[in-house]
Amino acid sequence: MFGGLRQWFDPESAHTEGTTPDYRFSLANERTFLAWIRTGLALIAGGLACAQFLPPLPIARLREIIAIALLVLGGVVALRAVDHWARAERAMRLGIDLPRSRFPAVLAITVAIGAVLLVAAVLYRVVA
Amino acid sequence: MTTRDPGASPERTRLAWRRTGLSAAAVALLAARPAVHPGAGPAEWLIAGAALGGWAALAALALHRAPGLRARPPRPAPRSIRAYALITAALAVLGGLVVML
Repeated sequence: MFGGLRQWFDPESAHTEGTTPDYRFSLANERTFLAWIRTGLALIAGGLACAQFLPPLPIARLREIIAIALLVLGGVVALRAVDHWARAERAMRLGIDLPRSRFPAVLAITVAIGAVLLVAAVLYRVVA
Repeated sequence: MTTRDPGASPERTRLAWRRTGLSAAAVALLAARPAVHPGAGPAEWLIAGAALGGWAALAALALHRAPGLRARPPRPAPRSIRAYALITAALAVLGGLVVML
């Protein structure tokens, strides 16, 4: 996942390899990065909102666990966004295929499972 | 190549930076919220200051990026992008402190 970590701290290497791509593709890559950052920020905001607005749930500390899980997920999304940006930029310079990733699918499934668990917890609280 | 799409791409990117800054403002306000509750102590104030400082840094990075986008052709911004992601991750850590306090 962080295979391109070296590139982060060595920005020159990204500008000597290959050829400069059409700037529109670079800007599209930048917008994709920003969209992922917004996804991460939404997860962070969701975690903070859970901690501040959710009533206490039937399982002790479940609210805090959900909040921390969302915050960790948001942080990972932000770090992964910059890694993916750097790898896509490099792929465009070298003219190779854009990086493929399972991350969006994993994130979607994680969020879906979390939502189902939260619905179950809230319903349990209403019924009990 | 640089005449086919003179305005839209840089402008859309500039607006994307702005949208992202607005999303970050929501996060900073949520993290700063405990500081305006009655009974807030120095810890809450410190966290609120760090959250608003983080948001200011993100807004400054977006402002800093604008001239690079206006240039023809637009200049790349690997440093701004890296700093943006790291500050966002730092906001997540700060959020963890808010939850645990």
